[in-house]
Amino acid sequence: MEYIYHIAVLFCLYGILTISFNLLVGFTGMFALSHAALYAIGAYTTAILATDFGIPFPLDMIASVLVAAVISAVIALPALRVTGHYLVIVSLALQIIVLQVILNWKSLTRGSDGISGVPSYNAFGFAITSPDRFLIVALIALAACYWFTHRLVRSPFGRGLRAMRENESAAQAVGLNILYMKLSTFAISAALAAVAGSLFARYFRYVGVDSFTINETIYVLAMVILGGMGNLRGSLVGAAILVALPELLKFVPLPVDIADKIRLILYGLVLMLILLVRPQGLLPEPRGRKAMLVSVEDESGPSDAGKLLDGEGGRQGGVVLQGSNLRKQFSGVTAIKDFSIALKRGQITGLLGPNGAGKTTAFNLLTGFLKPTDGVITLNGRSIADRKPHELVSAGVARSFQDLRLFTNMTVIENVIVALPDQSGRRWPNLFLHPARIRAEERANAARAMEILRFVELENKAHETAADLSYAEEKLLVVARLLATGAEVLLFDEPMSGLDQTTLADIFPVLRRLAEHGKVVCIIEHNLDVIKELCDEVYFLDEGRTMAVGTPDALMNDPELAERYFK
Amino acid sequence: MDLFLQLLVNGFINGSNYALLGIGFGLIFSTTGIVHFAYGSVYTFAAYVAWFLATSFGLALLPSMAGAIVAAVLLGVACYTLLYRPLELRRAPPLIPLIASLGLNIMLENLNAIIFGSGVRSANFASEVYFAGPVFFTSVHIWQVVSCIAVVAALVVFLRKTRYGRAILAMTDDPNMARVVGIDTKKVSYIVFALGSAISAVAATLTLMKDGASTHMGFIAVFMGFVAVIVGGVGSLRGVIAGGFLLGIVESLGLWKISTEWQSSIAFIVLFIMIMLRPQGLFSIARR
Repeated sequence: MEYIYHIAVLFCLYGILTISFNLLVGFTGMFALSHAALYAIGAYTTAILATDFGIPFPLDMIASVLVAAVISAVIALPALRVTGHYLVIVSLALQIIVLQVILNWKSLTRGSDGISGVPSYNAFGFAITSPDRFLIVALIALAACYWFTHRLVRSPFGRGLRAMRENESAAQAVGLNILYMKLSTFAISAALAAVAGSLFARYFRYVGVDSFTINETIYVLAMVILGGMGNLRGSLVGAAILVALPELLKFVPLPVDIADKIRLILYGLVLMLILLVRPQGLLPEPRGRKAMLVSVEDESGPSDAGKLLDGEGGRQGGVVLQGSNLRKQFSGVTAIKDFSIALKRGQITGLLGPNGAGKTTAFNLLTGFLKPTDGVITLNGRSIADRKPHELVSAGVARSFQDLRLFTNMTVIENVIVALPDQSGRRWPNLFLHPARIRAEERANAARAMEILRFVELENKAHETAADLSYAEEKLLVVARLLATGAEVLLFDEPMSGLDQTTLADIFPVLRRLAEHGKVVCIIEHNLDVIKELCDEVYFLDEGRTMAVGTPDALMNDPELAERYFK
Repeated sequence: MDLFLQLLVNGFINGSNYALLGIGFGLIFSTTGIVHFAYGSVYTFAAYVAWFLATSFGLALLPSMAGAIVAAVLLGVACYTLLYRPLELRRAPPLIPLIASLGLNIMLENLNAIIFGSGVRSANFASEVYFAGPVFFTSVHIWQVVSCIAVVAALVVFLRKTRYGRAILAMTDDPNMARVVGIDTKKVSYIVFALGSAISAVAATLTLMKDGASTHMGFIAVFMGFVAVIVGGVGSLRGVIAGGFLLGIVESLGLWKISTEWQSSIAFIVLFIMIMLRPQGLFSIARR
């Protein structure tokens, strides 16, 4: 019986580790292999504080959590500059460095001897030494970690994580603060791993580096993959199976060292087989309606989305966003040589020019995705040179992308909701401090999103996955998502390309209505008919320079420009 | 000063070993995009096979190495056939082969340990000590440098002069374009897995001669190879050679001032600095 309890305690520890690793790898898509090192930091912090300084529970665990979170955030800062394979190699290096520090800082960690004699928990004079008593503590910790993470991922913050995982630049373009989300996730994931580490120290009453090698990260990875990336319940299932499975080996008479190796072989096999046979894991990530955070009833509620579709007011024709003498140089190549533009309230401005003229680069400069080498950009007269893209979105400048960059695995309505402004649930502490406010906001946002979808006539597709839309519908969703930001200045990168006449006829009035409502609209467009039909003013761009500015008719009758355009 | 010279020479010799590891790993990585962590186990396997041939049949260094190369090629190609190829056919996103390779590595590493036993296995290849002024080095050091030069020379000729070599370069440049112009990317993938594994066996046999073979030797080997590739710049042969030597020399010279137990951290500090300052690596073919 003792043995069963022991296995159950192990399950709790691995359950916590799996949940926290899934948050990082599955939900956020950040593949950092330094989890065992953070687990180690949690365990050592508790072991040192409890053994050498007599610090009681829960102070030891709190300290573990804080130390791991801070170290993780500090190491994440450089690591976050890189993604994909680079993050893998950097995090592996961190794993090795942390273990080396633990091994070599002998005065604190006792090096390769490890720290033994860690005091066990004490509750009302009872020492919690046996597995059955400890199991209660471990279960409570697991439940708390599960509840916390569940809250976190099923929230506006979690929705942001999914959006970021699908497309980072699009997430920035709808106003999400990527750095904040990544740092938070790194720190929280480390904090949860440290809870498991702290429990480890108190349960085994011994910590040594051997328990925290890279193999430990791979076990936990196998559990996450087996259970399903992006599914918390799956993580528990994965942990349960992979904790229990090797125990069956105990019933086979094998020499101890061979049995241990077979256990590792088993982990490796499970990892490979699941990727080959069922890469989504036993419990796949919820998709479509199941993944939604808002309930369907709320969508028909009253909405104030009209406000989002209106401009700020002010004089029609007044200059809102202005770029003067912009220059952008990439090592050696000057993409923009001299570009000036003034976008006016209530007007649709067209940006025209041959391929490679620098139109998209101009958009990138105006929306903060690139910093100009020279020149000034002002919004309502104030310089916005140092603002990041997400800050500009909340200041009122938003853009779409030529290649759409929808969050294709999210539903249509969620693509819109994620872009809505002023969501306090994007800051994760609010999820726990003001749950009622967040719920109310979510209800209101569901209704607002629905109204925006009605505006572009996509309301019937609201619960479909964005990947299942037709091309024309995708284009409409791009417009809807951009509108949802509530930004005053809307920059559309080729919103009409590839659409047939009937769909064009649908989008024209949408854009015109926005201008009438006082928005500032700018479009990049190749179709001269569209420009003629829609734009009040056109900038002709070629070779990184503004060649001409004027009404569509004036520009199109200029033979020199025509030659440049059709060359 | 003598110490400095000795450390510099040691670093150069270790660097040639890292360069060799990086060339093999990088050839596979930059051509197929697969982060082949199990490269470490293939390398370990090769070392054990060389040990087995040398101790059981009394073979000399070069025949043992030849046997190890054959074994490594077979295992490396098997890795591609049984694991990575099916994942590619399923159009798995790029991190999936990486995760799978971690599983493959942990499996092969422990199979190696079960087959060959744990603990250090060493082979007694003929070896001599030489002195050049105050600096000493041994036969194995010469072998390491010579084989690095030989592998690089052969590889350059192969890549530049043969049809498949040019196909590898094309695929490194742009796999999709390579497919479009009619290059058989499957065949090229098999070739780079065979070549990369063969190169790992050369490094493995010499490590066996120098330090012996052990269960966990593969992880640090694949790791240093990976670091050399990243520091040098993915897809650049010149880069990975420079990266390997840079790592070896910095690591060795670091010992001048820093105590030995921190030695392996030095390489990672180089990695961090490099990624912060020049993420594209010393030499980069990336044009984006």
